[in-house]
Amino acid sequence: MFTTRFLYGVQEQPSLQHLFAKTRAGWQSLLLLVKNQLLCRLSKNYLTTLSHVFLFSTFKNLLKGMSEETKPSVSSPNEEALLDLAKSQPEGFNNDDIKQNLPNVPITEVTGIINKYLKNGTLEVFKMKNSLFYKYKDPLKKSDVKGADSEEKVVYKIIEESGNKGIWIRDIRFKSNLNTTQLNKVLKSLETKKFIKAVKSVAASKKKVYMCYDLEPDSSVTGGAWYQDQDFESEFVDVLSQQCHRFLAQKWEDASKQGGGPLLIRNRSYATATDVHKFISELGISKVTLSIDDIESILYTVVLDNNAERIVAANGSNLYKIVNRFLPSLGIVKTTCGICPIANRCASTGSVNPKSCTYLTDWINY
Amino acid sequence: MSTVFGKVVKLILLERFGPVVEQVGSYLFQYGTNPLLYIMKYTELPLSKIKESLCILIKYNLVTFVTNKNENLANYTLKPDRILLMLRYPKYNNLIKKKFGDESEMIIEEVLQRGYWTASELILKVIERLKKNEQATSVSLVKDKFKSLVVAKYLVRMPYPKDDKPVPDLQIQDNELYIFPDIDNKILAQINAGAESMDKIPDKGIYWTINFDRFHQDMRDKIIVTAFTKKIDDNAGKFVELLLRQMYIRTMPWADSSNPVPILEIKDIIRKQETHKQLLAFFDQYVNVIEQDNSNLIRKAGEASGGSFQIFMKEAFIQFAWETIEQIVLEKYDSKAARIFRLVKSKKHIEPDQIQKLAMIPAKEAKRLSYLLLEENFLQIQELKKSNTNNGPNKTFTLFHINLEQVVRMTLEHCYKTLFNIMTRKNHEKEINKRIIVKKQRVDTIAMDMREKGAEEGQISDIEEMITPPEREILERIDITLKKLNTVELEVDETIFLLQIYLMYQ
Ligand code: SF4
Repeated sequence: MFTTRFLYGVQEQPSLQHLFAKTRAGWQSLLLLVKNQLLCRLSKNYLTTLSHVFLFSTFKNLLKGMSEETKPSVSSPNEEALLDLAKSQPEGFNNDDIKQNLPNVPITEVTGIINKYLKNGTLEVFKMKNSLFYKYKDPLKKSDVKGADSEEKVVYKIIEESGNKGIWIRDIRFKSNLNTTQLNKVLKSLETKKFIKAVKSVAASKKKVYMCYDLEPDSSVTGGAWYQDQDFESEFVDVLSQQCHRFLAQKWEDASKQGGGPLLIRNRSYATATDVHKFISELGISKVTLSIDDIESILYTVVLDNNAERIVAANGSNLYKIVNRFLPSLGIVKTTCGICPIANRCASTGSVNPKSCTYLTDWINY
Repeated sequence: MSTVFGKVVKLILLERFGPVVEQVGSYLFQYGTNPLLYIMKYTELPLSKIKESLCILIKYNLVTFVTNKNENLANYTLKPDRILLMLRYPKYNNLIKKKFGDESEMIIEEVLQRGYWTASELILKVIERLKKNEQATSVSLVKDKFKSLVVAKYLVRMPYPKDDKPVPDLQIQDNELYIFPDIDNKILAQINAGAESMDKIPDKGIYWTINFDRFHQDMRDKIIVTAFTKKIDDNAGKFVELLLRQMYIRTMPWADSSNPVPILEIKDIIRKQETHKQLLAFFDQYVNVIEQDNSNLIRKAGEASGGSFQIFMKEAFIQFAWETIEQIVLEKYDSKAARIFRLVKSKKHIEPDQIQKLAMIPAKEAKRLSYLLLEENFLQIQELKKSNTNNGPNKTFTLFHINLEQVVRMTLEHCYKTLFNIMTRKNHEKEINKRIIVKKQRVDTIAMDMREKGAEEGQISDIEEMITPPEREILERIDITLKKLNTVELEVDETIFLLQIYLMYQ
């Protein structure tokens, strides 16, 4: 962890001593990174194997993913039982109810669980008839907009209805019948109070949509795995595409080594998106969780680059295999004129002409 | 016929026949079929020169003629496609050399150089050349070689005039095309030994010329075989080669697709040849793989006698043309542009939004590239209007698509232009170094002359040293440059050939 953070921060080639001095991290973490191909050893120095741009995007995600892993997010069965109880009692419940419904949970554990829930806002506590009551708070519906006036309430309600897809300011205006200045004021105040937030949509760069503060925006707004802060991560896609290609090539190579005739080799070379997904996950180059569909679309780019073919298997899923092209490198693309960007302006007279063309001269002297 | 193409033709004529022939040829290219007097009027050349030029052009079959309404006059037509073939001569020689050996290559070389010739004269000429190279030979050997070239249809008999008219009407019956005349070896041997005069040749008036179609057929097959070799492996290439060979037994060479070929025939040949053990061992697997290849060029036609297969030539060249264009897009722009191009190809019609999504290219970049391809005519655009909505603005859809034939024609133009550029550059390089080249030639002739006269080595080297070391360096450089340009000229011609075959099948 520390090592990665350090590397991410400096983006250069730190030596081993340097790393230890700064981070207190042991061999273990270094080795882990090397194994995941995030680092490579360059004589005495360690260097990230990924390009800088790539570092920025994927690496950040990677770090995020790592730090999240340290927190146990899975709930134990007891926690869930308590949560169920809470949900079934919208009016609230007290310690006696807990004892009744969860008789075999030790009281110390109950306290721990309740404290946790109180802390993260799943439960709230209040006093009634001299005893403590707990109540379940729906995280998706914080409809009590405290300290808000009626306009804010109306706007909030409209935004809330739009869910995690968000709503465009113009639509809010139509629905609320407020004028622009008024609406802007309301939105601003809601935003500062952290009831709502503005999210930039990938569909149009200038278009902002509003949604409730603690909602995770829908992938149609964020663009899914390929977007980071509304920017399409071209390099990330390229690297993934290359890796997919590599995987398919490897698969074919392994199959040819096994032998057994061309048909067998071919059949063994096919891979499903699930196979590739596993490979990519194990590589650890992406800590944004990629779905199988994401991998399918990446594989499709490999197909489009004419490096793979896609067939539909008997069970309806897609199979991918590496393919070769028919033609060797052609004569026309070996010439400068064949790939010349200004060929349209080239003539026997004039400033662009084959007699004095520098492209040709360079090529001749090459 | 485009202007660039005309320019290329012009350069070829200039290079091989000089300025006068070039002028006559260019005139005919520009104004089409014309009688002699018109040519004279516009080119303003003396009549004798024009006649001479036309003679040369007709001899090489670059110009044809038919009678005018007035039966005493002829109309001349240029065959520009045929002129372009002159660039390909080294390839034809090579092909024959590989297939039939040196003697046959010489025969073809001589015919190419002369346009047409009688068998006897050709045979004698080749024997003479072989003797010079100190190669053992005999009349019957060369004659057999000649015969096999005729049987294989690489050589074809020239049409000849039936009756005596001012403008001869050249004709030939189909069954005469590949009949080799009776030639007595003895007479040839006698002429060869100098005992008889040339007039005694037995096949006077029977002229032979090159059958280019036959060569192109071989070149086409080679493209297909190499393609399969590259895509699958050697064994698959071999399989396709044999399939093509068996195809000729029952199909016209330029048919769109072959008639079904029984698979067992091919297996038998492989068994006899014993060169491709792997192919024999995994024969059924190979058949399966080739048949199921995503190109779908070889398909099963029937189950009878172990299954029979068809090969689809026309489709093969459609796919090759696609790949050619894709390669050009890839090299000219980048891999992203090529991806977009292939995406549009596979979707037939596609909206701009879809391109960005499926090709996984950032929106801006995708837009820039697709409009760049549009501008350079690799992509076309189609607009659809949805007009039945009464309220709101009319919606228009923009769809990208590709018209392959159009793109191929454009690319072919571009190939001609490339040829023109390369040839212009070649001439230019020669031009600027003319002085040195001429000097070198002169020195060479003098040295050769002296050597023949038996001069001493010292004298000869004195003459040779008239070329100074820096000049020598320049000469070497020019040599490399010209070689390079010549090679690439041939390579561009390969692309041209491929695209032409595609267009021919359309
Ligand atoms: S001669 Fe030079 S400028 Fe003209 S097309 Fe060729 S490379 Fe381009």
